[in-house]
Amino acid sequence: MNAVRPDVRLEAAPMQPVACTTCEAEVLARKSSWDQSTLQWDATALERCIERRTTPARSERPNRNAFAGCAALRASIREAAVRGELDVQSDDPLRTNPEAIHD
Amino acid sequence: MTSNDQVRRIEVDAGPRRFARGWHCLGLARDLADGKPHQINAFGQKLVVFSGEDGQLNVLDAYCRHMGGDLSQGEVKGNEIACPFHDWRWGGDGRCKQIPYARRVPLRARTAAWPTMVQDGMVFVWNDPEGNPPPADVTIPRIPQVEDDRWTDWIWYETVIEGANCREIVDNVVDMAHFFYIHYSFPTYFKNVFEGTSAYQYMNGDGREDVRPPRPSKSNPAVLGTTSVAAYHGPSFMIDEVTYHYEDLDVDTILINCHYPVDENSFVLQYGIIVEKKDGISDEEADLMATKTGAFIKYGFEQDVAIWKNKARIDNPLLCEEDGPVYQLRRWYQQFYVDAADVSAEMTDRFEFEIDTTRPNEAWRAEVEQNLAARRS
Ligand code: FES
Ligand SMILES: [Fe+2]
Repeated sequence: MNAVRPDVRLEAAPMQPVACTTCEAEVLARKSSWDQSTLQWDATALERCIERRTTPARSERPNRNAFAGCAALRASIREAAVRGELDVQSDDPLRTNPEAIHD
Repeated sequence: MTSNDQVRRIEVDAGPRRFARGWHCLGLARDLADGKPHQINAFGQKLVVFSGEDGQLNVLDAYCRHMGGDLSQGEVKGNEIACPFHDWRWGGDGRCKQIPYARRVPLRARTAAWPTMVQDGMVFVWNDPEGNPPPADVTIPRIPQVEDDRWTDWIWYETVIEGANCREIVDNVVDMAHFFYIHYSFPTYFKNVFEGTSAYQYMNGDGREDVRPPRPSKSNPAVLGTTSVAAYHGPSFMIDEVTYHYEDLDVDTILINCHYPVDENSFVLQYGIIVEKKDGISDEEADLMATKTGAFIKYGFEQDVAIWKNKARIDNPLLCEEDGPVYQLRRWYQQFYVDAADVSAEMTDRFEFEIDTTRPNEAWRAEVEQNLAARRS
């Protein structure tokens, strides 16, 4: 079978490296807007991640034992975007409290 | 007409010539373990599923190695399946155990037996084009709620989808917008995570006022919203944990959405539902809720099917930034179609994608308003 094609959206704006400020795991990230994020891990980064290693209580639910994501990395990516080190594709200004509107 | 060089062309790669490696659910044990042979057309072949006196569920190639009789038209005798043509008896291990009219069984009287597993009331078969047994770490998560009295029994549906490759249904896991347009839901939060052999979808949604009953009642309450965690465990078996939020209570459900390929261009879609009987909900109410949820999901899949039957296979989808990670999902899905030795890190490495729902939600709110206005006038 054919090789898998790359995401067409990466043609104009590729993934960029970002490091977690807590564990220094390096991932590739992309933000099309302040509230969108794409995150590519590799094995080395996943091993580094501290939140990943702290196992929460086992759930009785079949899908609730998966690692949903790292909060420290999420914050690091946002900071990198705020500092201008990670591009944000949309030109919408950063809302002062972007988290609030989802509540 | 637009000149050709301005037109984006739909590209179609050659479809896979093999079927995905992994556990595939064939249906419920209560239906398949009834002592009768069941014919299952899967993976481009005809299979027979049967359980003998020992209760063991077996899956064999349906064509008898003697003269090609169809074992699925045969009869279960003891622990074996007897061919309808000359009564040769085949065991669950694929070996011919007995030929009633012969002094002895010839050499190499062996047919293909498929690894099977019965778990939480469901029958699974392992498909591997390379013929290897299932690795110990490739599993389907347990669903302890199935055995729990506080949950209803499975309500189960099966439907054959002709004219579509099963990749179409797998694509749904990243397709946020279609949940609004096809399934009358209103996603407000949407995130995918792929890692290893699993592909997760975290989705929260608001109730749609424009599809609600105009006058909600106790037997027909308004859904205010949903919280859902869904995941493919392997290429074809999805568990979806959905909580429906009503005005005065939350109802937890577990849905199964699974399929097996019949051939490259058709598949059997199955889905099942169990519902938690919360305090204050009678068994009857919970069963009714399960039936209603099932009917709603059935309706949703019918909408999908109408799309699949008419759409083109497309390997270069043109995406906007508010679409989900279609390409990365297909990269993950590819791992099941290559030899185990050729599964690369990029297919299984963890990948996360969170959609910004701001703009879609603005557009959808406006559309819901319009529908409500049209309903009022
Ligand atoms: S073909 Fe099956 S017994 Fe002869
Ligand atoms: Fe769908």
